[in-house]
Amino acid sequence: MLTFRKPPTDITHPQMPADVVIVGGGPAGMACALRLSQLIDEHNANNPDSQLSKENIYVLEKAREIGQHCLSGALLDPRSMRELLPDFEKEAPLDAPVSKEAVYFLTEKGKFRFPITPPPLRDHGNHVISLNRFVKWLGGKVEAAGVTVFTGFAGSELLYADDGGAPGVPARPHVSGVRTDDKGLDKNNQPKSNFEPGYDLQAKITILAEGARGSLTKQLIQRFDLMKDRNPQTYGQGIKELWEVPSGRIAAGEVIYTMGWPLTAREYGGAWIYGSKDNVVSLGFVTGLDYPDPRLDPQRVLQQLKRHPFVAKLLEGGKMIRYGAKSLPYGGWWAIPPVAGDGWMILGDSAGFLNSQRLKGIHLAIKSGMLAAETAFEALKNDDFSAASLGALQQKVESSWIKDELWKVRNFHQGFEHGFWHGMIHAGIQQFTGGRGVRARYTGISGYERMKPLRDLSADGGPEAGLIGHAKGDGKLTFDKLTDLYHSGTKHEEDQPAHLVIHDTNICESRCVREFGSPCQHFCPASVYELLDDPAAPNGKRISLNPSNCVHCKTCDIQDPYQIITWVPPEGGGGPNYDGM
Amino acid sequence: MKILVCMKQVPQKDAPLKLNEAGTWIREDVSYEVNEPDAYALEEALRQKEKHGGEVVVITAGPARAQQVLREALAKGADRAIHLEDAGFVGLDAYNTARAFAATIKDEQFDLIFTGLQSDDYGFAQTGVILAQLLGRPHATIIMQIEKTDGGIQVKRELEAGYFQFVDMPLPAVLTIQSGINKLRYATLIGIKQAKNKPLQKVSMAEVQSAVGANMQKIERMYIPHKSKKTEFLEGGASEIAKKLVDKLRNEIRVL
Repeated sequence: MLTFRKPPTDITHPQMPADVVIVGGGPAGMACALRLSQLIDEHNANNPDSQLSKENIYVLEKAREIGQHCLSGALLDPRSMRELLPDFEKEAPLDAPVSKEAVYFLTEKGKFRFPITPPPLRDHGNHVISLNRFVKWLGGKVEAAGVTVFTGFAGSELLYADDGGAPGVPARPHVSGVRTDDKGLDKNNQPKSNFEPGYDLQAKITILAEGARGSLTKQLIQRFDLMKDRNPQTYGQGIKELWEVPSGRIAAGEVIYTMGWPLTAREYGGAWIYGSKDNVVSLGFVTGLDYPDPRLDPQRVLQQLKRHPFVAKLLEGGKMIRYGAKSLPYGGWWAIPPVAGDGWMILGDSAGFLNSQRLKGIHLAIKSGMLAAETAFEALKNDDFSAASLGALQQKVESSWIKDELWKVRNFHQGFEHGFWHGMIHAGIQQFTGGRGVRARYTGISGYERMKPLRDLSADGGPEAGLIGHAKGDGKLTFDKLTDLYHSGTKHEEDQPAHLVIHDTNICESRCVREFGSPCQHFCPASVYELLDDPAAPNGKRISLNPSNCVHCKTCDIQDPYQIITWVPPEGGGGPNYDGM
Repeated sequence: MKILVCMKQVPQKDAPLKLNEAGTWIREDVSYEVNEPDAYALEEALRQKEKHGGEVVVITAGPARAQQVLREALAKGADRAIHLEDAGFVGLDAYNTARAFAATIKDEQFDLIFTGLQSDDYGFAQTGVILAQLLGRPHATIIMQIEKTDGGIQVKRELEAGYFQFVDMPLPAVLTIQSGINKLRYATLIGIKQAKNKPLQKVSMAEVQSAVGANMQKIERMYIPHKSKKTEFLEGGASEIAKKLVDKLRNEIRVL
C-alpha cells in the first residue's frame, strides 16, 4: 500500500518573519541573493541614517549542501557573471575555456561534420564548468556576504494571505511566504519521535528559483492561472555521465555537439561532449519530452549513443564516474509566465529562461536573479510588495538582453513539432528573419500530448527499436539504469512517505498499463517507478515506487500522459549528490 | 552537567574518492559530513543537558571547512564551539589530536567528554581513549546508554554477539559513543539562525604547539585494491570433489 506525502493536519507550524525568501540555491537564486546583498551594502554605505538589514533575507536549498542538486552540461556564457562580479574569471572554478568546437550529424555508423559551426552553437569565449562546483563557490560568496542559506530545507507549500491592505501589502490574495518541509514523517505519514514541523516563513517577497518545473512555481501557476495566453511549457530531459578517459582523446575545452542518430526524425534532441580538465569528459544527451513512443527511455538513448563508433572510440578504456538527470525548459519566450506579482517573483529555469537553440540557461538564470534583486531592493526601500512594485521585474526583463536573446529564438523549438527536417528548415528561415520564421508566433502543445497509445505503434518499436525498453548495459561502455543511478550518489531518509504523489493509482493500473504501457517506468531516469506482476490487478500489473531512488529531475510530473503525478519535495537533505557534475 | 563533544568532519560515506598525487590520502574535492558516531555523541550530550542542565561545548580540529560541523552542532543546540583551525591540525594522528584537545581545554572542568566511537575515515578509535589517559580520567567505550546515578553514571557498553556490559563509573569521565544510541534530532531554522550568534572560539597551532609532537603514525601509501577474481571448477565424483575442496580450504586458502 502506497502512502503519499501530504501535510499533516493538527500541527502548529513555527512562524518566522522574513523580508525576502529565495526558494532554491542554484545559479538564479544565489545570483539574486548576492546582487541584493551588494545593493544593500552600497545603500548602507551611502545612507547612514536609513540602514537596510540582510538579517531577514534567506535562501532555502533542499540539498544537504549548496550545489549538490545542480546539474548541467555545462558551458557558462560569462556575460551575466561579468556584470555581477567583474573579476569573477580570476577566482571562480572554471575548468577550461572553449578551445575547439564541432557539430556532427550522426547516422548509425557514420558521421557528417557541419562544414561550419552554426552560429548559435559557437562557444568561443565560454567556459566548461562543473555547475556543482561553480554554485558551491557562488554560494560561499552569498554566505560570506551575510545572507543565511538554509541547506537541507525545501519549500513545500506557498503561503497566501489576504489581509486587505496592511501597509506595504496588496489588498488582494497574495503570496505571503513559504512553508518548509516537515521533517521526521514516517512511511505512513505519521510523525516520528524526532518530528519537526515545517516553518512558516512569513515573507514580504517570495522568490521562486527552483529550477525546471518547480513544485511551488507549479502551485503558483495553477492558483493564478499564469499560463493563460502562453504556450504550454515544453521540456527536455538531460541525461549526463561524467567520464575519465585516457589522455589525448579530447582537449580540455573541446566542445562537440551531435544531432541525428540514435534518435529518428520523430524525436527532438542531441548530445553534448565537453572536454574538461584532468581528462574528464562531460557526456550527455537531451531528449525532448515530446517523443511519440511511450516506451522510449532517455537513459537508454544515451547508452545507445555511446555505441556509435565515434563516441565509443572516445570513451574506450575510460571509466564512468558520475551520473545525473534533470529536466530543462525548452518552450522559449512564448512559454514564460508573468514573472512577478503580488508578493512573488519567478526566476531562471522555473520561469523558463533558457535558450533552447544555444542549449544555455545558466547565464540567463543569473541575469534574471540579478534583475529580481534590483526589483526586490527597490521594493524593500519603498516598503511596497504589490504587483505594481514587483512587476518592475517584467519590464526589466523585457528591456534587458534576456529578451534580446530569447526573442531571436522565440519560435525555435516549436518549429520542430513535425520532426527534425521540418525543424531544420524552420530554424533556417528563422535565422534570416530575426527569429520570426513563417509565423509571428508559433504555438505549441504540451509534450505529453504527443505521446501515442500502444495500439498505434508497432510492437517492436520500428525505427525506435533501439530506444525503447530498459538498457541492459555491458558494464564498461553502457550501463543499465541502476548502475548509472548508483553513480548519482542519491540518498534519502528511507522511512518517509512517497513524495511522488500519484493522485489516482487506479488510472495507472486499469488504464495506463493497457493504453501506454506505463511510460513512467521508462522515462524515469532513476527507476523510481516499477510495475510488478500482480494477478489481482486489473491488467496483471501493480504500480510500485522506489522514492529513495529519485534524482529530483521532475520528469514524471511533466511527462505522465494523464497528468496525475505531482512531484513534491521529500524530506530536505535527500536527493542526488552531484559533486563535480 | 558540563559536557564536551569532540567531533570530526569526514568525507561523505558514498563520496567518489580519488587518491591524491602522492598516493597518501584522498583528493579533497569531495563533500564532507559530520562523522556519524559523533552526531550521536552530540545528540546524547544534548539529551543529558536537557535532563540535568548544564552546558554542551563542541570541539573539532581541521581546516576552515570543518567549521560546518560546529555550525550544525550549534544549530542543534550546543552552547559554544571551539575550532582548532590551522593547516597544522590536518593529518595529525590520534595521539597528537588528543594532545591538542587536552591542551586546549586544560583550564576547563568538564563532567563528561564524549567522542564518537571511531571516525568514518581513519577508523582508529583512539582519540577518545588517549584523551582520557592524558587527562587522567576513567573512560568507557562503545556506549549505548548513559544514566546518572548518585555517585556518578552507569553506562551500557555494547560487546560482541549481542552482549552488553553495564559499568558504574565516577565523574568526570570520557565516553566513546556508538551510533544508534539515540535518535538524531533535526536542526531547525531558528536554531540555525541563532547559531550564528553563538560563541565560536578559534585556536591556532601556536597556542597548543608545545603540547604536540611529531606524528607517531604515518600513512605510507594508499591504493585501490586490485580486483582479481578467479573461478576454478573442481571435477570428478562427489567424494573426490569433497576431498579436493577440503585440500584447497586447508592448504591453499587456510581457513580450516
